[in-house]
Amino acid sequence: TTTGAITNFDGIYEIQATDGDILVFSFIGYFTKEITYKGETQLNLTLEEDTNQLDEIVLIGYGSVKQSDVTGSISLITDKDFNKGNMVSSDQLINGKVAGVRITPSGGQTDAAPNIRIRGGASLTGNNNPLIVIDGVPLSNINPAGVSNPLSLVNPNDVESFSILKDASATAIYGSRASNGVIIINTKKGTSGETQFNFSTNISVNQASEGLDMMDSDAYVRFIQEYHPDYVKNLGVPVGSVETNEPVTQIISTSVGDRAIYDTDWRDNVLRTAFSSNTNFSARAYLFDALPFRASIGYTNAEGVVIGDDYERVTGSINLSPKFFDDKLKVTANAKLTYADKNSVDSGGALGGSLVFDPTKPVYNNATDNRFGGYYFNTNVDGNYLRIDGQYNPLALLEQRERPETTTRFLGNLELDYSFDFLPGLRAVVNAGLDASKSKIVENYFDNAASTYRFNGSDNNINTNYVFNPGVNYSENQALTNTTLDAFLQYTKSYEDKFVSKLDAQIGYSYQNFKNDGNQDRYLYNDDTGLRYEVYNESNPNNRYYNVMNLQSFFGRANLDLLNKYLFTVSFRADGSSLFVDDDPWDPNAWGFFPAAAFAWKITSEKFMENANFVNDLKLRIGWGETGQQDISGAVGYYPTTPLFTAGGNNSQYLPGAGLYSALPFNPYLTWEKTTTLNLGVDFSFFKQNFVSGSFDIYKRETQDLLARVNVPPGQGFSDTFVKNVGAIDGKGFELNLILNPIQTDAISVSVNGNLTYIYNEVTNIGGQSDINRSGSLRGTGAFLQRDVVGQQAQSAYVFKQVYDTNGNPVAGAFADLNGDNIITDEDRYFAQIAPNWNYGFGLDINYKNWDLSSGFIGQVGGNLYNFNKLNYGFTETVVPNNTNSITNALDFYSGAANPAFENVNGNIQFSDYYLEDATFLRCNNIVLGYTFYDMIKDGNVRFYGAVSNPFTITNYSGMDPQNFGGIDRDFYPIPTTITMGVNFDF
Amino acid sequence: NDLDTEPKVQLSLEEILANDPNAIEGIVSRLYASFALSGPNGPTESDISDDAGESPFLRGIINLQDFTADGMKNRWGDDGLDQLTTTSNWDANNKFFRYLYNRAYYTIPQCNNLLSILNTATDIPDSEEAIYEARFLRSLAYFYIIDIFGKGVLVTEENLNETTPLPEASREELFNFVESELLEIQPLISLNNDYGRANRYVVSMLLAKLYMNAEVYTGTSRYTDALTYLNVVIDEGGYALATNFVQNFSGDNDNSSEIIFPLIADAVFSQSFGNTTYIVNGNLGTETMNLSDFGASEGWSGHRATEAWYGLFGDLGTSVDARASLFWTTGHNYVMADYKAWTDGYPSIKFRNTDSDGSSSGATQFSGTDFPLYRLADANLMYAECALQGAAGTDMTKALSLVNAVRTRSNATPITMSDLTLDYILDERARELNLEGHRRTDLIRFGKFTGSSYLWPWKGNVQNGTSISTNYNLFPIPESALNANPNLEQNPGY
Repeated sequence: TTTGAITNFDGIYEIQATDGDILVFSFIGYFTKEITYKGETQLNLTLEEDTNQLDEIVLIGYGSVKQSDVTGSISLITDKDFNKGNMVSSDQLINGKVAGVRITPSGGQTDAAPNIRIRGGASLTGNNNPLIVIDGVPLSNINPAGVSNPLSLVNPNDVESFSILKDASATAIYGSRASNGVIIINTKKGTSGETQFNFSTNISVNQASEGLDMMDSDAYVRFIQEYHPDYVKNLGVPVGSVETNEPVTQIISTSVGDRAIYDTDWRDNVLRTAFSSNTNFSARAYLFDALPFRASIGYTNAEGVVIGDDYERVTGSINLSPKFFDDKLKVTANAKLTYADKNSVDSGGALGGSLVFDPTKPVYNNATDNRFGGYYFNTNVDGNYLRIDGQYNPLALLEQRERPETTTRFLGNLELDYSFDFLPGLRAVVNAGLDASKSKIVENYFDNAASTYRFNGSDNNINTNYVFNPGVNYSENQALTNTTLDAFLQYTKSYEDKFVSKLDAQIGYSYQNFKNDGNQDRYLYNDDTGLRYEVYNESNPNNRYYNVMNLQSFFGRANLDLLNKYLFTVSFRADGSSLFVDDDPWDPNAWGFFPAAAFAWKITSEKFMENANFVNDLKLRIGWGETGQQDISGAVGYYPTTPLFTAGGNNSQYLPGAGLYSALPFNPYLTWEKTTTLNLGVDFSFFKQNFVSGSFDIYKRETQDLLARVNVPPGQGFSDTFVKNVGAIDGKGFELNLILNPIQTDAISVSVNGNLTYIYNEVTNIGGQSDINRSGSLRGTGAFLQRDVVGQQAQSAYVFKQVYDTNGNPVAGAFADLNGDNIITDEDRYFAQIAPNWNYGFGLDINYKNWDLSSGFIGQVGGNLYNFNKLNYGFTETVVPNNTNSITNALDFYSGAANPAFENVNGNIQFSDYYLEDATFLRCNNIVLGYTFYDMIKDGNVRFYGAVSNPFTITNYSGMDPQNFGGIDRDFYPIPTTITMGVNFDF
Repeated sequence: NDLDTEPKVQLSLEEILANDPNAIEGIVSRLYASFALSGPNGPTESDISDDAGESPFLRGIINLQDFTADGMKNRWGDDGLDQLTTTSNWDANNKFFRYLYNRAYYTIPQCNNLLSILNTATDIPDSEEAIYEARFLRSLAYFYIIDIFGKGVLVTEENLNETTPLPEASREELFNFVESELLEIQPLISLNNDYGRANRYVVSMLLAKLYMNAEVYTGTSRYTDALTYLNVVIDEGGYALATNFVQNFSGDNDNSSEIIFPLIADAVFSQSFGNTTYIVNGNLGTETMNLSDFGASEGWSGHRATEAWYGLFGDLGTSVDARASLFWTTGHNYVMADYKAWTDGYPSIKFRNTDSDGSSSGATQFSGTDFPLYRLADANLMYAECALQGAAGTDMTKALSLVNAVRTRSNATPITMSDLTLDYILDERARELNLEGHRRTDLIRFGKFTGSSYLWPWKGNVQNGTSISTNYNLFPIPESALNANPNLEQNPGY
């Protein structure tokens, strides 16, 4: 190149050229393009964005580095990589996009909690959620009351990027809460360029897929006649006793008279086609030519597929980043305000109820003597009382109650970054954050709500002695106040052409305080009058709860860059946690020390690589570090090391005249759980236009002093189980991220991204016990499916091997005698893994002229899932009433959905591997098709798109949904298939 | 320093002692409550990891002592309970065995904690009585470990803070500990304490129970010692048989002159799914009965007596024995052909939530009837048994009159000296005391629980009963306990 030219702000350029000259167009952040000049007078082109931009800034905790200088295992996901379509909460943006990060939705609720695990989680009883940091403010592990998904309170449209810190060398700077990885969310900032506006809106239609194969009315009548003839008299309703428009399908005669049989699909009755909409407006500007500014507002209205599951959210955000004193003081201020209003329906109760409610019963009963607001209820006469007998009508459960849960949350931070004059390169940074929310829950029953149906004991007339109690049945107010403060000094110096090319060191202090303060109004019913009254407890008059956790840390880090090729990082952090403090804050148990070191070699910068033009980038990384875990508050509260008493509640008193006090369990010896990780990684980019790029990491991880809930030796504690530091887990795995750009031309670009994760976590020590940390409750308390034992993968299922007859039918209660001692005992059980070892995600993006098509898929290979519904609704006696007169539905024994070999599931039947199924699956998360008009509006573009989320899942798993977090598939809120249409204006 | 966070709802010992002059009594209250309630936070929350509804101590006593025996069966078919009611397929994973074990070993350290507090604190006035009560309640919890599981660990205030698993304590060691504790406090504890609390006669009664079964527990019979303490109860306690038998099991039984030691229940302030609520509601079912007639608003259609109990009264329709009228026969079959069918067998209406005159202030979900763990009629029959076992210093005439006092109170015909045999005592104990948590212990003491010398409906999971193995004289040690303490060994046969 001998000549050059620069475009003006509108992209207009002029250059002298002759035929055959090669014009090279380049721009930071875009692929360079070469075109041979053929005498055109005007040559227009568009540069393609470079999806593997080494100069992108990666947030690493108390600072940032260029991606090319990263030494740890860190994934950066920016807005161009995000999932597209109907994104309601921020976690949906990255689901399936990052190797080593598994996001499992807990269901299809409007506010479903995502279970996010980075490298599978390093703890057992401790909190396994990664640390989430938004604009420098670390979030609490506690969600506001009524909020299931903390990331639903951040508008996805405000998110600019995610930095995902996976290995310890990267996370150790966050020390205390970092052993499960860190997700740093950076929101969009102001600009120093032209004012830009964005307006986007979409609407969605959601539909649940098919449910379990329960018996319909005909099959059910046949089943009861065949298997439980004594209960034929309970089918349907007495002829003429119910007034409804629903058709009677048959009339059967029974010992108690003729019965009218209806055909009700209860699931259909509690589900609906749900509509959602999402509208956002944002502006970026450079106010007064001095003040970078961004503001946004958003409104979301989402319906769940279960009737009444309604969610509304308004978000607003402002970002200001001015500079003062000749740019020596940089100030960044972020404020986000969110208001969410959710009607929390009893979806579990309604979905569970819709499975088992007798299908021969009608939904409605408008007979004049029906007391329950027109809904059918099974009743019987007990002396002077007309009692509800059996299950509540699941539709009434949804429609006779409302439970608005409203949350207002402020999340903001103010960062001051001052560069000193006396020593160039020295900065002082102070970042103060506040995450405060107020929540209110009010549970309210409507007139004639069956749940509030009670009797007046002083009235003996069956026709008048009942009361309903509409109105407030429960309420809760909660305030979360989380304050954080970081302060650090940082010294950075670069040297030209010296052995040391860059030095960077910092020391700092961090303070995090999480306070959860609230109270509940609880109500009970007076047994004599049937009226509801508010419970007053003298020992705790307004049912207050008050939980506070405090963390304080000192940290330091140094980065050294030698010859622009060899990068060294060392860091150290000391963390104190209030959970381990009884009364001495300097108690050695309370403090954890977390060192880390990493080295990276930029191979492409070596001389010998100069001629290897096909290598754009090649970097080798090695990192080692320790991180800690202390959050066991979910298991044992906030004061687990302190001997305390709790005062007894109103209805738990005993001797008259003395308020009851009960000693609470505690463990004075609790201390930090520590995870050590060794990580080896390589980042690469090969061939023109980054034809192949990506990264590969392999790691080994060991967690020691595991905090786990264990059985207390009998009599040696104030409860039968408590948390203790016990045992160890070894983890290993690898992650591959790969991006292919096979076609990059003017008209068409094709990009394929994919990731593959292998994780294997094995328990290596459990402190001499035979097993620890039992979990996965089946039928009945203490019937745990999963446990941790030495030599097995964490949380493996402990099961018997089912024996089948020659026709392939299971023999109920018959198990293989694995140890050959001719009796079946626990010794014959074996361990089967639950969590999959292999997860993957991939996507295809195609741009053709103005069209864009993107798609995302996720899946797992292996892993087992316990089909609890097959157990719970799959034995013939399940339909027989326990202490009522009403009968319940079951899986269809005639269609093969359940096997009539199972009469009951007593004893060890529930531990049979018959119920454990391979959970391998491939799910299409989304497919989005868009078309952009570049000239439809002045100075801007318009994009229209249509998207479908969750259109199909391929699996052999026979239950509700193979994508499951806990390993047991129960009454699952179905994840709907969603079709979205939207438009996006940039101007 | 902010790292030393301070709770505001939970309280330290210093705070409760400073704020509440009755704080020690409040802790003692909790120790008593441990036998009836699931925990301090209402009937749906539990202070151990087990189910709040199923796991309370008294419910465990009824499940393990009565449903495993001849007189009562449960029909729910619940996993674990079903094996218990049919005395078959017992194993260490059965949660119902664990419930009682966990409750006992929850109560014991709570007692130890109070003892440790009272031993070290110097400024707590009148703490002696609380110490005696805590030691009694700890002994009572150990009694069930001895009787039901046969061994355990010995935890006292001395090794309260020990975290390494303790060695196994044999049945005899636990027996000796409980015996020495009770002997020590018996002369010291007050003669009169408030209703529902331990006094000298309550302690004497537990000593007598321990000695009555000493041959089973230690191999050495101690009927003479049992008699010593029964005499204290009968002659010095001032208790008198209630004139109306059913008053002992009614809402107003706190006025009964007969009850020595009750487990208190209240429909409002002391609610539990595991106190008498379990017995009252469990025996009621809307299919055949009116719940409100018994002061209950819930009927669980769970329990029915068997002919092994009501068969002891002859023809129920013509029997003059008041106790024979306490079975609900309408709509029910005499023979329990299917223990899972509600209408097979007669529900027991001995326990009810109405007052003894049948009146009720309204049907309630929770029972307000106290459970008579020890009452005078039991002491009378124990005396007669000791006499028949040849205990030194017994008086057969007194034995006969004590038995006849129990019978004639219920209008049953008195017996003569020649009728008074050990077998008769066992039957009379069934007529008088079934569903009061003693039956399995009694059958074992008489050698009739395992084997085939005595069969009852559904023994060994067969309608007419079949022999069961002798290892069923003890329950298996729960698997969770073996897991937590490797020093514990499983009982033989499991």
